[in-house]
Formats: sequence, structure tokens, C-alpha cells
Amino acid sequence: MTARQVISGVRWYLREVSGESAYDRYVAHRRRDHPGEPVMSRRDFERRRQDAREARPQSRCC
Amino acid sequence: MSTKARSIVVWTAVALVGAVAWGVIALIRDEQISAAWLIFAAVASYAIAYRFYARFIQYRVLGADPDRATPAERLQNDVDFQPTDRRVLFGHHFAAIAGAGPLVGPVLAAQMGYLPGTIWIIVGVIFAGAVQDMVVLFFSMRRDGKSLGQMARDEIGPFGGIAALVAVLSIMVILLAVLALVVVNALADSPWGTFSIAMTIPIALFMGFYLRVLRPGRVLETSGIGVALLILAIALGGVVQDSSLADTFTLDAETLVFCLIAYGFIASVLPVWMLLAPRDYLSTFMKIGTIVLLAVGIIVTLPVMENEAVTKFASSGEGPVFAGALFPFVFITIACGALSGFHALIASGTTPKMIEKETQVRFIGYGAMLMESFVAVMAMIAASIIDPGLYFAMNSPGGATGGTVQSASEFVNGLGFAIAPEALQSAAQAVEEETLVSRTGGAPTLAIGMSEIFSGVTGDGLKAFWYHFAIMFEALFILTTVDAGTRVGRFMIQDTLGNVIKPFRDVSWKPGVWFASAVIVGAWGYFLWAGVTNPLGGINQLFPLFGIANQLLAAVALTVCTVLLIKHGKLKWAWVTGVPLAWDAAVTLTASWQKVFSSDPILGFFAQRDRFQEAIDRGEVLAPAKDMDDMHAVVTNSTVDGILAAFFAILIIVIILDAARVCIRTIRSSEPVETTEVPKVESRLQAPAGLFETAGRT
Repeated sequence: MTARQVISGVRWYLREVSGESAYDRYVAHRRRDHPGEPVMSRRDFERRRQDAREARPQSRCC
Repeated sequence: MSTKARSIVVWTAVALVGAVAWGVIALIRDEQISAAWLIFAAVASYAIAYRFYARFIQYRVLGADPDRATPAERLQNDVDFQPTDRRVLFGHHFAAIAGAGPLVGPVLAAQMGYLPGTIWIIVGVIFAGAVQDMVVLFFSMRRDGKSLGQMARDEIGPFGGIAALVAVLSIMVILLAVLALVVVNALADSPWGTFSIAMTIPIALFMGFYLRVLRPGRVLETSGIGVALLILAIALGGVVQDSSLADTFTLDAETLVFCLIAYGFIASVLPVWMLLAPRDYLSTFMKIGTIVLLAVGIIVTLPVMENEAVTKFASSGEGPVFAGALFPFVFITIACGALSGFHALIASGTTPKMIEKETQVRFIGYGAMLMESFVAVMAMIAASIIDPGLYFAMNSPGGATGGTVQSASEFVNGLGFAIAPEALQSAAQAVEEETLVSRTGGAPTLAIGMSEIFSGVTGDGLKAFWYHFAIMFEALFILTTVDAGTRVGRFMIQDTLGNVIKPFRDVSWKPGVWFASAVIVGAWGYFLWAGVTNPLGGINQLFPLFGIANQLLAAVALTVCTVLLIKHGKLKWAWVTGVPLAWDAAVTLTASWQKVFSSDPILGFFAQRDRFQEAIDRGEVLAPAKDMDDMHAVVTNSTVDGILAAFFAILIIVIILDAARVCIRTIRSSEPVETTEVPKVESRLQAPAGLFETAGRT
């Protein structure tokens, strides 16, 4: 493994774990499965996602 | 060399390393051993357990099927159900199960020496804790991610279901109270700690605003800024402590209780994005980062264990940190890290809805729990590398030590350990704290151990910084648990009340939100207040109750697993969860029995109550109470705690009896019984089972 691969691997992992890549996945999904239909802006998408969290509290353990 | 031969050589070597390490830990008595032996013993045992036992459970017992679609694949909706890369899901799952529990429990259990606790952390996780997490995850996954409570209701009956719900709510309340108590004890009269923790609120609010308005979705960037501000807040704390602002941030325990209660209520009512979500990011990054730092620190400095392997308190049961003998109280005190019922809630929450492949339950369920156990081993090391005299001066309740360095030194000498008043003074000065006497709760002790380890790498000049870094790190994620737990409890109350009073069904109905939040905050706030003001010491009274409640929840989870194994026609494998269940029930019931019926006032709540009540009747004040109000407080607390201990024991018995009825009916039935398992659908996804493995079975 080269240093570049390690860095891009770490970057991939952090983006996935933190949910930062969710929007990119959403855009890809809309383009692939619903071509021609409107795609939410990042701002709207993230707001929707945050508000969805409101209704599903996740407990943290001890 | 063929793969098979190589595998045999490698695993033989791992087994040898483990055996030698265990031998050193268990047999060497006359000299101090290096902490490295504990690390070797733990890692070798985990590796063997993961490779052989967990694999056996996954394929032979559970019958995980790589060709069967998981709920994430079948029900994908981009909201709850979403096939998630196993390594990412492992991160989420670990972040959700790891908290302050595995850090605090081992520190308290160190009063019996490092050996009993370490054995239980490692053996317990392999045969009980990790098995529970993995099996619950598997069964929930086979039922579209049903919660533990739902599974108890569906598979055992309404009785079991109600008992499970009550168990979950009561453990939540006790858990939040005990964790909040740890924070209060760590921050009381410490302007440095209080300032740094107070600063996390504006930092989190700023991050929330930044993520919502300025840079939507840029979580990493926001967290980076947050962590930098946090480190700055810790460093600034040292400046504040020496400035005129010090008085503002010097709060006594009672004031801190009210701050925490107010904070808990506000955090539960505010929108998630404003406070809870950013705080969660911050504490997750801090948590993972600090755990990694601690592991590196231990491996680099290889500290020596100062604590005894087994202290006399293991058999006498008269230790000052918590009362009771090794059995059952070590197993109650070290709950998280070995077997934690709370994890069953996570394993039947979001994780089963996101898992890509059935064959990943070993990696995620069993693997994440092994990592949690490793955190507990490190906490045991951190608590055991400090001078035992200092350990007992810090962890004995204020009523016993008298609060000053002289009286604490005398008390510790009386216990059979030794520390000079000057040594206590200089230990406090080294971390720039007013005093270390009776800083109970585990967090300050752990912070001392961690600052010892970290300053072994960076030099003694940073000792005070590392101490407050460790306090901050613990307080931060305890507060995150308090936020999240209060909110979860609020939803449970809204949900339950919604069955009776309609408007409560709408979870955003404001009066409902306020009422339910107030109920849950009031409940844990009551126990927190009682703990802080208890002359006998809050931690030594409440921690056993927390342990019993957590093990009670584990009993519910293991009961559900055992019933399900039998219902699925796997009676011959029922011992996999049945044996840990029997052990857990024995531990929890013995502990409850002693807490309720022991005639020793140090151990039994009701004996304690009688002793103080009789003194009140005679008009006497018994030490450590200072006046009649204290005396009445002890009587009330002991009564409430005693009733709770009895109540928990009755709950366990009810659930196990109800489950036994179902099991007997199933075994006698000639036809296969119905379960709520979702029928098989072929999977189209390809995904590996383990961390490095390629697709398919290995």
C-alpha cells in the first residue's frame, strides 16, 4: 500500500463514518434511478436529514 | 507452507503467548509485573475467541446465511434501512456502545486488586458480553430490526414485554443518575474542569449553527474546528483557574446538580441539530482519539502495576469503595466491558437495519464488544499503576476520609495501605487540583492514571493538562449520554402515555415534550441529588444499583436469546446463551439478595436503614452523618435503594419464569412453533464477512 492509498482510505472512512458522503450518494442515486427529476440542494438535503434525526433518538451507552 | 499449516502455526503461537501472559498475571506474586502482560493476555484471548468461538456461534449455532438478504437490502429506504459498509457500521456500532461505563467500573473494582477484575473483563466478554451483543444483533436482524422490548413481547409474552420495558426505563434513570454523579464528583470545586466543560456548550452551539447554516453537511470540517476549540478550552482552563474568574467557576456539588438538571432538560427540549448532534460528533471523535492515545501510551511507556493482584477486600467484603465480597460484587461493578445489558438496546436498534450481510454479525456484534472490553482492560491498568494509598484516599467516601490530607492519610493507613499527607498534597499539586481526597466516581482516578501514562511520553510538565484532558474527555461523553439518554427516555414516556392520552402520540407536541422531559430529568435528578447529599457517599450506594440494573437488562436480553434458540429448534445449542444467563442471574440475584436482606448495615440497605432509624429514635447522630437531617436522608435513601434492589430482583424472576414456561411449551410441542422471523429472500449483494476477508465464507 502506498502512502496515497492510505490517505485516501482514511479520508474515505472518515467521510463515510461521519455521514459527510451521504449527499454524494444521494445525488448519484437520483441521477441513476430518477434521471431528469429534480435533485435537492445540499442545504435542503442536510436539513431534511438533520430533522429526520429529531424523530429517532439514538441512545448512547454507558 | 500450505495455508492450513500456516494457520496452525500462527494460532499455536497466539495460544502460547496468551498462556504465558496469563501465567505471569496469575502466578507472579512477589514482584510487580508490567502492564504489558495484561495487554498480551487480553489480545491473545480475544483473537482466539473471535477466530474460533465467535465463528462457531455465527455458523453452527445461529446459521448465518450469506445468501439471505438482510433487512437493509430488502427494505432499503435511504433513511433507516441502508446497507452500510461493514467497517463503517463497526465504527457506528462501537461509538454507540462505548461510553464511560467500561472506564468507571474497572476503576472501582480495582479495590479488590487488578486480578479478579481483569479475569472477569476478559472471560466475561468472550463467553457472555460479546455473545449477547452478537446474538441479539442476529435475531433482531432476522426480524427487520425489532427492538429488544418488542422481541420480548412477541416471543415471550405481554408479561415479559412489560417487564422488559420497565427494566429499560429504570436502568436508564439509574444509569443517567450515576453517570451524572461521576461528572459532579469530577467537577466539584474544580474551576479548571468546570470551565472547560462549560465551554463545550457554546462550542457545540457554534458547531450546530455552522453545520445548519454556514456549511451544511461538512461534518469533518466542523468537528475539526470543534476539537481545536475544545483543546483550547482545556488549556484556557488552567489560566482561568489562576485568574479572578476562578471563583465564578468554583461550584460545589449541590450547585452542579442543579446546573446538570437544568442542562439535561434544555438539551432534551432543544432541536437535535442545535446541541445534541454536534456534541455527539465532538464526543465521538474525542472518545476514539483518546482511546487510541491511551493504547499507544500504555504500549510505549509499559507502566508497572502498583496495585496488588488481589487485595484483602476481595474476601472480607469491607472495602471502602463499595461494600460486598468478590462474588457477586466484582461482576456487578464491572458491567460494561464484560457484559452490558444496555448494548442489547443498541444491537436491536439501528445496527441491524444497516448491516449488509448476515455473516457480518460476528465482526460487528462480537468484534465491537471485544474492543469495548479492551478499553475496560486499559482502564484497569490506568487505575492500577497509581499508588494504592493514593487510590484509596481518592475513592473512599468523604465521610470516611474526613476530607483533609491528614485524616485521609490516617484512614488509608488504617486500611493497611500507606500514603503520607505530603504525598497526597503533592499529587494534587501536580495536576493543579485543590485536593484529591475523596474524589470518588472513578473519573479523577482514571484521569490521574492517564496523566501518568501520557506524561510518561510527553514529560511531567504537561501532567496537569493531561489530567484535565482526561476529565474533559470523560465528562464530555457522559454529558452526551445524559443528553441522548434523557431524550430516549422522553420518547419512551411519550410513547407509553400516548396509549392513554392521545396528544402525547405526536412526539413534537410541545406540552408533551416538556412534561415527558421533566419527568425523566426529575427521576434521574432525584437520584443524583440523593447521591450527592448522601453522607455515606453516593457512588458506593448507587453504583451497585446501577450494576444490578444493567445486569438485569442483560438477563432480559439473554433470556430472549435463549428462548429464540429453543424456538428455532436449536435446543442443543441453547447453552451458548443459557449458561451466561444462568451466571448473570446468579450474580444479579445474589447481589440483590445481599443488598436487601444482609444484616450487615454496610451491605444491606434495610439493615442500614434500621440502624439509622433506631439511632434517630434514640435521638443520636451516627457518623458520618453530621446532624438529624443527614440521618433522615440516610434513612430515606436506604429505603428507596432497598426497594429498588428488591424490585429489580423480582423483575428478573418474573421474566425468567415466564420464559421458562414458553421454553417448556416449545420443547413439548410436536410441531415447530411460530416465531416472528422474516422468511428468506435471496440476497443479490456481495460483501465480505470480516475485516479483511473476501466475499463468501472463510
